[in-house]
Amino acid sequence: MILGDLLDAPVNGPDDEPLGYVVDVRFVLDGPLDGTLAAPRLHGLLVSARTGTSFLGYERTGVRSPALVARWLRWRHRGTFLVHWQDVQAVEPGAVRLRDGYRRYSPDLPGRPSQRPDLHRAT
Amino acid sequence: MNLPPDEHPPGLVLDARLHLLDRQVLDVDGVPVCTVDDLEVHGVDGSDLPDGSRPAVVTSLLSGAVLATRVFGGRPPSSRWHRIRWTHVADVGTTVALGVRGDTLDVTWTERWVRDRVIGRLPGGRHDPG
Repeated sequence: MILGDLLDAPVNGPDDEPLGYVVDVRFVLDGPLDGTLAAPRLHGLLVSARTGTSFLGYERTGVRSPALVARWLRWRHRGTFLVHWQDVQAVEPGAVRLRDGYRRYSPDLPGRPSQRPDLHRAT
Repeated sequence: MNLPPDEHPPGLVLDARLHLLDRQVLDVDGVPVCTVDDLEVHGVDGSDLPDGSRPAVVTSLLSGAVLATRVFGGRPPSSRWHRIRWTHVADVGTTVALGVRGDTLDVTWTERWVRDRVIGRLPGGRHDPG
């Protein structure tokens, strides 16, 4: 599966009710060891009810500046949630369907950017 | 609406669009190789179209000619992607670092072709200018 097929795909609930769009896909480096690193395991899908795109991830990080931009983007992405991969019943052409009893989680990234020097190393 | 926080997974958490896609890929010598245009995901059992009933992992970084598809929509056919196996990835930060030299990868074949067929045929084109 190409990840691009999942991104921006509409997400439907178990009764085919529209829930939103996949704005991003969350991986965790805790899969089976594959070379130097563990393989990124597909942890879940980030679903936004209002828009199919996400800009710089304001809705899931602690970034608060520039204040106007941050507030606008957080408002635009209100209602974004994370759903675990185990709750995905099927990935159909052009749509994702969740299983009955799926749970919504906060989309916040564990560890704020200031606590994640791994992603901010100078090159 | 307050949602419950997600469990804190033991490994590094990466959001594809935020931390991987469009990142520069550097080889073991720090030479730019390509950018991450997409990712290939397989089930741990090797299935090509996994669903939530079994874990899925990233198996390859994909790079290819995506300009036209980004402008007009769609995506290149699977056969047109250049794959860099996740096995070769040594680190993920602001860039994606590989543990191998870029000239051993298929993704750089056009650079090698231009070097051998064009640059190499120019006078002085076969040695270091220094």
